[in-house]
Amino acid sequence: MDKILGFSVILASRLPSRQVSAGIFASLLLNFFATSMLSAQINMSTTEAKALKTSVKQQADATTTITSDFTQYKHLDFLSDDIKSKGELAFKAPDLVKWEYIQPFSYSIIFKNQTLYINDDGDKSDMDVGGNKIFTQLNQLITASIRGDLFDDDQFDISYFKKDGNSLVHFLPKDPQFAEFIKAFHMTFNPTGEVIEVKMIEPSDDYTQIVFSGRETNQPLSDADFTP
Amino acid sequence: MRILLPSLFVFVFFGCASYPKKNGFQSIETIPKKILNPYFSDISNDYVYKAKIEAFDKTFGGLFIVKKLGPGHHRLVFTTELGNTIFDFTFQGDDFKVNRILKEMDRQLLINILKRDFKALIEEHPQILQTFERKGDTVYATKILSKKHYFYYSKGHLNTIARVKHGKEKVIILFSKIKNSLSEEVQIFHKTFPLTIKLNGI
Repeated sequence: MDKILGFSVILASRLPSRQVSAGIFASLLLNFFATSMLSAQINMSTTEAKALKTSVKQQADATTTITSDFTQYKHLDFLSDDIKSKGELAFKAPDLVKWEYIQPFSYSIIFKNQTLYINDDGDKSDMDVGGNKIFTQLNQLITASIRGDLFDDDQFDISYFKKDGNSLVHFLPKDPQFAEFIKAFHMTFNPTGEVIEVKMIEPSDDYTQIVFSGRETNQPLSDADFTP
Repeated sequence: MRILLPSLFVFVFFGCASYPKKNGFQSIETIPKKILNPYFSDISNDYVYKAKIEAFDKTFGGLFIVKKLGPGHHRLVFTTELGNTIFDFTFQGDDFKVNRILKEMDRQLLINILKRDFKALIEEHPQILQTFERKGDTVYATKILSKKHYFYYSKGHLNTIARVKHGKEKVIILFSKIKNSLSEEVQIFHKTFPLTIKLNGI
């Protein structure tokens, strides 16, 4: 903010007098926007955080199935544009998950009975991940992310914010082995306690952002919807 | 001994015949070429491929990303479809840096193989040692990381890079579906190691 203010002052000092007032006005405007941008994300009180946890938990407990479209943005700092992909996801309680990319490539992954079933554009494979701690945790996290029920203080350092009328929660994995893989999860919940966005941040600060849309809950889904 | 020496000579002469000789290349005059491999040379382009890596009967999928950041400076990243980084390398001049690699893959032997493959994949103007002609195609003998690499040009397009040791092909890089200095399809085959990398532009 200091930088913005400093820049505006320099800008104003180089202008003729009539333009100086315009310069000051511009600087005030800039500072106003900078302040409101900063205040867009504010800390939640303990009571508000408790209320969010309760509403998300209730929402998750009442959810037996979820289908949703998603758009994924892979951000790598050195790229000109984020890599955008689109797909659909399906969830059936307690732990069936199908994550399917449709555009610009065809790829699906199913988490079922400690096994990962992959269909890579027709090439099918599976992987027993029961003994793999990272995959087991990742599976739990993906399931929990979809349902929103990730509030495990033993596994994460959690902080709560309010942003643009929604709730934003930062989850920092406590397990150093996991933190090497993913530094933080940022999840955004709408006022009804549904997850609308997940951001997975890597130790390098590059991230994957997943934005959900067209979410439908408790529609009948059969096991056939989770075949690779 | 009298019999052995000539047969040894025959073996050495034909068995170890040079790669150009074996393949019927005719040596021609080298005309300096600015860029030998144009496929990863545009600084404004993000090169993004859907990748399939087949190694030891296992297949891994993911996204393979190449970005040119400056002259002789490239960043190469392989991530899962879900976006988690598997490896992240930087090539800058003669330097090579592992920015990040999944612990399970952090083996020097594997890193060296990938380094050689990717250096050959992105090198724009390696030093040309000799130029050949074969059936109307032009073949450039070059050296990359002190290994002989042959760049095959057909109808003005680079379509193959072959890494050769003792007259035998070790690694083949094939470029296909070429449009405006972009190769939509790239395949890296190892002939003496169970590793194949297939890339499809997205």
